[in-house]
Amino acid sequence: MKHPSTLQMIPPPSKSESSVQQGALRWQSEHSSPNAAPQLSIRVGFSRFRSVVARFTFFQPKFELRETTSGGSQHAASLKIRIRTLPLACFVLCAGIVLTGTTPLQAEDPAPVLTFARDIAPILTKSGCNGGNCHAKAGSGQNGFQLSLFGFEADEDYEHIVKEARGRRISPASPELSLILLKATNTVPHGGGKRMDVGSSNYQRIVDWIAQGMAPGKPTDPHLASLEVQPGQATMQRKTNRQLKVLAHYSDGSQRDVTALAVFEANDKSMAEADEAGLVTTFDLPGNLAVMVRYQGHVAVFNAHIPLGAPVDNLPPYKNFIDELVFNNLKQIGIPPSPVCDDATYLRRVSLDIAGHLPTVEETEAFLSNSDPNKRDQLVESLLASPGYADYFANKWASLLKNRRDEASDKAANFAFHFWLRDGFLENRPYDQMVRELLGATGDIASNPPVAWYKRVKQPELQMEDIAQLFLGVRMQCAQCHHHPFERWSQRDYYGFSAFFTQIGRTPTATAGEDVIFHKRGIAQAIDKKTSLPVKPTALGEAELNILPDEDPRLYLADWMGSPENPFFAKALVNRYWKHFFKRGLIEPEDDIRETNPPSNPELLDALAKHFVTSGFDLKAIIRMIAQSNAYQISAAPNQYNEIDQQNFSHFYPRHLQAEVLLDAIDQATGARSKFPDVPAGTLAISLPDNSYNRSSYFLKVFGRPDAASVCECERVQSSSLAQSLHLLNSDEIRQKLVVNNGRAHRLAQGNQSDQEKIRELYLATLSREPREQELNIALDYLSKARVDDAGKPARSEQIDRMAFEDLLWALLDTKEFIFNH
Amino acid sequence: MAFPSFLCPGPFDRRSFMQLGLAGFTSLTWPGLMRLRAASAPESAREKTAVIMVWLPGGLSHLDCYDPKPNIGTEYRGPFAPISTAVPGLQLTELLPMHAKIADKFNVLRSMHHLSGGHPAGSMTMLSGDPDTRDKSKPKYPDWMSVAAYLRAKEGIPRTSPLPNYVGISPPTEYNGPAYIGNAFLPFAVTGDPNLPNFNVPNIGLNNAAEATRLGKRVALRQSLDLLERRFDKERELEALDEFEAQAMTLLTNPKTREAFDLSKEDPETRDRYGRNRWGQQLLLARRLVEAGAEILTSSFSGPLCGRVGNWDDHAVNHHVFDALRFRAVAYDQAVTALIEDIYKRGLDQRVMVVVTGEFGRTPKINYDRSTGAGNASAPTGTLQPGRDHWPRAFSNIWAGGGIRTGQVIGATDSRGEDVVERACGPGDFLATIYQHLGIDYSKIYITDLNGRPTPIADGGRAIPELTRGGSV
Repeated sequence: MKHPSTLQMIPPPSKSESSVQQGALRWQSEHSSPNAAPQLSIRVGFSRFRSVVARFTFFQPKFELRETTSGGSQHAASLKIRIRTLPLACFVLCAGIVLTGTTPLQAEDPAPVLTFARDIAPILTKSGCNGGNCHAKAGSGQNGFQLSLFGFEADEDYEHIVKEARGRRISPASPELSLILLKATNTVPHGGGKRMDVGSSNYQRIVDWIAQGMAPGKPTDPHLASLEVQPGQATMQRKTNRQLKVLAHYSDGSQRDVTALAVFEANDKSMAEADEAGLVTTFDLPGNLAVMVRYQGHVAVFNAHIPLGAPVDNLPPYKNFIDELVFNNLKQIGIPPSPVCDDATYLRRVSLDIAGHLPTVEETEAFLSNSDPNKRDQLVESLLASPGYADYFANKWASLLKNRRDEASDKAANFAFHFWLRDGFLENRPYDQMVRELLGATGDIASNPPVAWYKRVKQPELQMEDIAQLFLGVRMQCAQCHHHPFERWSQRDYYGFSAFFTQIGRTPTATAGEDVIFHKRGIAQAIDKKTSLPVKPTALGEAELNILPDEDPRLYLADWMGSPENPFFAKALVNRYWKHFFKRGLIEPEDDIRETNPPSNPELLDALAKHFVTSGFDLKAIIRMIAQSNAYQISAAPNQYNEIDQQNFSHFYPRHLQAEVLLDAIDQATGARSKFPDVPAGTLAISLPDNSYNRSSYFLKVFGRPDAASVCECERVQSSSLAQSLHLLNSDEIRQKLVVNNGRAHRLAQGNQSDQEKIRELYLATLSREPREQELNIALDYLSKARVDDAGKPARSEQIDRMAFEDLLWALLDTKEFIFNH
Repeated sequence: MAFPSFLCPGPFDRRSFMQLGLAGFTSLTWPGLMRLRAASAPESAREKTAVIMVWLPGGLSHLDCYDPKPNIGTEYRGPFAPISTAVPGLQLTELLPMHAKIADKFNVLRSMHHLSGGHPAGSMTMLSGDPDTRDKSKPKYPDWMSVAAYLRAKEGIPRTSPLPNYVGISPPTEYNGPAYIGNAFLPFAVTGDPNLPNFNVPNIGLNNAAEATRLGKRVALRQSLDLLERRFDKERELEALDEFEAQAMTLLTNPKTREAFDLSKEDPETRDRYGRNRWGQQLLLARRLVEAGAEILTSSFSGPLCGRVGNWDDHAVNHHVFDALRFRAVAYDQAVTALIEDIYKRGLDQRVMVVVTGEFGRTPKINYDRSTGAGNASAPTGTLQPGRDHWPRAFSNIWAGGGIRTGQVIGATDSRGEDVVERACGPGDFLATIYQHLGIDYSKIYITDLNGRPTPIADGGRAIPELTRGGSV
């Protein structure tokens, strides 16, 4: 069905509005399968429409449109055709054909047998019957009727519908009176409301299936082999739409148009939406979008490239492959990037991102006055070599690895675990080795700190889920109880993967709650809850392993993780680190890597992953590559074109400083110190080993420091809140930091430098840059006003100056430029 | 004879719809139920519906308060005589005379039940719909208050009140919280005893004019120096920061917010009517705040007014259960009825729903054990005293306001108050009823947890029809 030129209206429609037209629509179609339900997309003139989804039947030799509406003999299709500017509504009635009866029209083409798996199960999915909130609810479904999630287990669903409860759900003698249809159409009270209309094509198909005898389908029937979406990819302008077509390919070579029954979902709902009928509508944002298409356990992806089309002339120089791939992508989409940021911005940004702290006043002055053309690259090197890097990244990974204090007795273990992490980053231990040490950890915590992770996460399923999400970016949780809704993982995959963790033995040590972890001799296997059969350790997408009883299966897992062929391991890490530096991963969420959630820049992700693997999983190397690229150094100030971009890194995406970093920054700027229990005085907030400090420090809690309860970085909430604002505006804690003796405000009030120099120091200490002329004047003005009393007479004293500098300091700490990393 | 019926939303048991004391008795036809379902809380952009939840930590003994069983043996009955109320046929115990007088202004739901026996699990089940019956140290799911605060904040409808939309006056915090929704949706917490003359709420108004001036100067200075704003206008995060700071400044400096929290602005008679004690003044403050525009309020009745152990958990080792209830009765009766009456008197009853509940009831069969310490409502150490343990299988709570029909008794328990025999309602239904009042489409909303799993908010419950606006029998 392609060209409107083959579309004829017989008789031709009149030009009046809302006139009823009698006649038939005829057109050529490549489909001849009677039960196909293609969609009619008509393009007339300059507009494009989609039709009402209709059920078409065809008979030789002519093709005719017929849609059943109300189960009677009236058939009508309604179309709205815009001819130039005249809207026209027309009803097409096939009165002639109707009056001859409703017997099957095609003598030479008998109606095929409808089978449950192929024809009925998809209807249940599309109508929303078998979602996790209704009849596919874990446990016993809804109100005694259980279906499998999204129809993954069609055989079981058949049993439930046709045979359960003595077949009360269907009425073979009068199909329209079947309970399943009465409920679905809300003819009798149905908690789920109306899921389909009486007489609709879905309804009719179920009626027909029941009337035919409810064939379940034979195992030898052609089964669904693959799903294809047309087009597979396309360039779409913003604020346009495009109708997708979904084809199901069967094992016998046949195919069927299943657009009306497929489920569509866009992977970035701020960029586009895909409605029930497969119409993809883009919004304002340019970039790369994927629409996931689901049908009967198979998925397909439509990739949309949404250009902006602006001229891309001034690109920063390419320093490495990151620049090449990021800027090429921007050229393709047509988004001109912002220019590279200035030195002060870069200094602050990269210090925060690599080492979690602001540069000191001295460091700032030194960097800004340094004329070496390579100073930015050198800065990256020195930051990577600093202990701040190890602290900051140990902090990041400690909460992901659930280094959590639940009991007071956890303290020693948590400190040990945190030290192990920090040591690993200090000596730049290869990532695969660290993962291996963690996975295969054996012994007790005192001698082998990574064992602490096993103390925290005890069941094989949970261990597997955490490892999968954290190190492979795969969310396996869903597959525990049913086939993963969006991915290829089945319960078999789930239990096969968790089998790696089934031979972990524990014996209690003298310390309460701590065990010695060891490998229990035995065949590693887990019971697949679906089949109740044992499964041996199976890495995702790989073959089942036969591991000897004496061998620790966790080491096999570690081998697979670190192997260069592993499709997930490197990708997950580089994506995570990309997000760390760019605020948005190439795949979002960063721990949800699946076929139906493709990266916004696939070449870049692949290149990063490859680089990471060939470097020997060198974490510093990947950070170096990122931080030294010009793509990372782009300014946060948008230009008129790229303001709208949120996906393609055309400008730096500013983000809120994290709780620990903000606290340390405030301390550094004010000259105060925060006190934390159990650690030496002067310990920075980013060096704190576990989550217990969220309890003792209201600041850390209210600014969202995570509680180490989840492997998802999303546990850290980065958005602002009323409580945060109140704390900054009016808390004792902030007040005390400002007024602390020998703090910055105090020393400035006492100092002999000029006011200009003092203000300059304030700016260097807080915003890591020189003040602008206007800012200097505002500050000087404030100082002079402070030094005059209410009557207008000069009143100068150190106390007054001190208060004025506290105010200035506070004001700078409260600016967005301070609170955000930009 | 009542038929056991464990399908809560089913309007099929006419007996449970006996409108005691109400004129008219409509039978529930299918269109009637549909009308009921279609009815939703009226919401203009200006006035949003609100809920005040009074939380009784530890679990209120249903047999001794709202579900008396005067005709059973003394092993169950307890010493409190039943009294008749303003609703013919409804009896409460003698502990609640003021409740009895205004029984036509609230509903008693007697058929709450769930399976979570411990305080953590029971509280998490009731407040967040967590079906797990095992105790956990931290809630896995967000409580309804933070869910409602979150959904309302997401709606983006501008609020006219300077108050935060979720305020806790001595809120329950031990076994509930925002979980994966994030700490931004913790309540604005008011702790301490509002009855004390020096009661002061931090961050509401500043202590003196000098402080206010200084803060004003600082903020003005900051605004003049904050240049980032102009370059990054499109970033929603920065906008949100501005909004919150504006709201914070309002709380700190706007005299209206200070007034809302200032109980001295109330008539002494009103303060007396609520009761010059912590609980009474907590609820009075709640009423003031809801009038001033707060939307989600919780207040926990704990502390010394409960007795020695500070909550309602009347095991024999903690309290002499009957002494404890006597000890609390006056303050409780007075405060709760004052709030309910006030809601109606001040015309808040359409907008504001009041619900009073604990996490479960208490064992109908009285047991005896030795006290672990002397104190209010508890005999000296070692003395044998009566107690009741946790009982989630059946318990009661009361509902008022919210434009719902009142004077109803919903559900019933068996002769001993041990199990529900009519109109069983679970925590999901409890939550759904609250969400319904707040205009939240609970059956369709899913909030993604940290693993990306869409999680329902009312655990499959349905709003109890008798407790919804415009709906009932």
